[in-house]
Amino acid sequence: MKTVIVRPERCVGCLQCRLACAVEHSRTKNLAGAISEQVTPRPRLRIYPGRQHLAFPNKCRHCEPAPCQQVCIAGAISRTPRSTVDIDPAKCINCAMCAMACPFGVLTYAPLYLAPDKRAVALKCDQCPEREAVGRKPACVEACKVGALTYGEWQEAQEHKGWALAQAVFASLQAPPETEPAPPPGIRLWRRINS
Amino acid sequence: MRYLIIGASAAGLAAAETIRQWDPRGAVTVVSDEPHPPYSRPLLTYLLSGEVSLEKIWLKAADYFQEWGFEALLGEQVVQVAPEEREVRLRSGRACPYDRLLIASGARPRLPGIPGEDLEGVFTLRTLADWRRLDAALPEGAEVVVAGAGPVGLKAAEALARRGCRVALAELESQVLPRLVDTQAAAMLGNALLEWGIEVYCDTKPIGLAGYKGRVRALALADGRELPAQAVLFAIGVTPNTEFLADSGLAAAGGVPVDARLNTGLPEIYAAGDCVQGVNLLTGQPAYVPIWPAAVEQGKIAGANMAGANRRYPGLLPQNSISLRGFKIITGGLVQPEAEDVEIVSELDRRRGHYRRLAYREGRLVGLTLVGAVADAGIYFHLMSQQLPAAEPVTPGRLWG
Repeated sequence: MKTVIVRPERCVGCLQCRLACAVEHSRTKNLAGAISEQVTPRPRLRIYPGRQHLAFPNKCRHCEPAPCQQVCIAGAISRTPRSTVDIDPAKCINCAMCAMACPFGVLTYAPLYLAPDKRAVALKCDQCPEREAVGRKPACVEACKVGALTYGEWQEAQEHKGWALAQAVFASLQAPPETEPAPPPGIRLWRRINS
Repeated sequence: MRYLIIGASAAGLAAAETIRQWDPRGAVTVVSDEPHPPYSRPLLTYLLSGEVSLEKIWLKAADYFQEWGFEALLGEQVVQVAPEEREVRLRSGRACPYDRLLIASGARPRLPGIPGEDLEGVFTLRTLADWRRLDAALPEGAEVVVAGAGPVGLKAAEALARRGCRVALAELESQVLPRLVDTQAAAMLGNALLEWGIEVYCDTKPIGLAGYKGRVRALALADGRELPAQAVLFAIGVTPNTEFLADSGLAAAGGVPVDARLNTGLPEIYAAGDCVQGVNLLTGQPAYVPIWPAAVEQGKIAGANMAGANRRYPGLLPQNSISLRGFKIITGGLVQPEAEDVEIVSELDRRRGHYRRLAYREGRLVGLTLVGAVADAGIYFHLMSQQLPAAEPVTPGRLWG
């Protein structure tokens, strides 16, 4: 399936994806309109400080099988024909069972303009179905300036990553062994005295 | 291969679907004593509050059984399992032969065993029929006593308060959600309950139900008080449905004992869900934890094993999600760990109303309570169930980034 591929090593934590995501999931679908909407639109991905990298974008992986779908007591979570995992805001009862099941912690609970009578519903990445219908990339991918979020077949991305890793391992094996630089004369003398 | 499944809820249906994946040609029969198509039991309290309507509680599409090719015997009660003859006898007199049997008969609410339980106006809430009875009997502004402040009792009390009833919540122990949260989280929840107009009586033991002309009038407590009520709802826990196993030798006092493959000891009979005496994943001790996610997981593993796989169930991780009017608590693992080597780390954010309490043992997470901000709960549970080292504060970026 085509999905948003995350490269955390490229992310600089500018949060433009979050803004684009919130705007895409608003009623008006433009920034000026989104700000003044009655129900504030919320982003569905989060950027955390990383350990090895500057920042770590975290979003729904659309797992197969999806733990959130299996525990949903309201039957609100389903797999769409384009094989994403989707939450139906009309059925969601805000019970937080999905947050308990999701091993990646991608769910948030907030009001949504599609369910105006509800205090909050579960929100997560839906991979922008309206954009895909007209052949556009998801909003976060379009917003990303550094290539940390790209859109493509995940099998290809995985293959490419494996290939790149193999190349790196191969290159390191091919390189001439690093010779240690000779120590300065004083140290050489000191070592000779000690040995 | 003829597969027979007793029970058509979380565990039974998960097992049936798994069997279908492993054995596309086997004959799968599902027996349920309820006449309705499968529905979501946890939604009954939401049905009571009016948050969901009746047509939204069905778990599956109308043609589910045809589509999956299951034979459904709905409204048929199992009265006996005869392992010698390899058949299950139904109340209607019918006998169902099987090659593989799954017992997923679930549980039913307990009653405290006090005088007056047969009065009109005494309820439990577990089945759709229970909901119909309760829903029909509640005039607006009625005084209702909910006995038991566990997840079901709390949600029911909140639902009844939302319907305009005057609700009193009586709890045997000294706090709401005993054994599920610590005193701090219970205090936060208690404040919320007060705000919604629910009176909470802790440390109270119900000793009897007072009636007038066959209808319940009040719940009498051990300290001499009487809580007036036109309806009393008992939500004090459940007991496994194992009566029909009495002469088969499969049942024990705390449910059906099973091994790590969810087998009952007889090679062709498996058990899953709320009727099973489980094992706590973190302590390795027997534990009876009737929760939906565990039932689904057990159903899948038992179903696969019935169809010839050899999958093991590592044990259940207690976990509960309580969500009342946007006030969320997620709790799980060992909440009141007895062992001294458990280290507790807790953080309270009074301004936002967020609370986090983590219990560590030997560098591994063993207990969790989250109040307010619950989004990362799944990450903690994943760490707990996999027993991964988690000494430092857990954030997704630190784990994967």
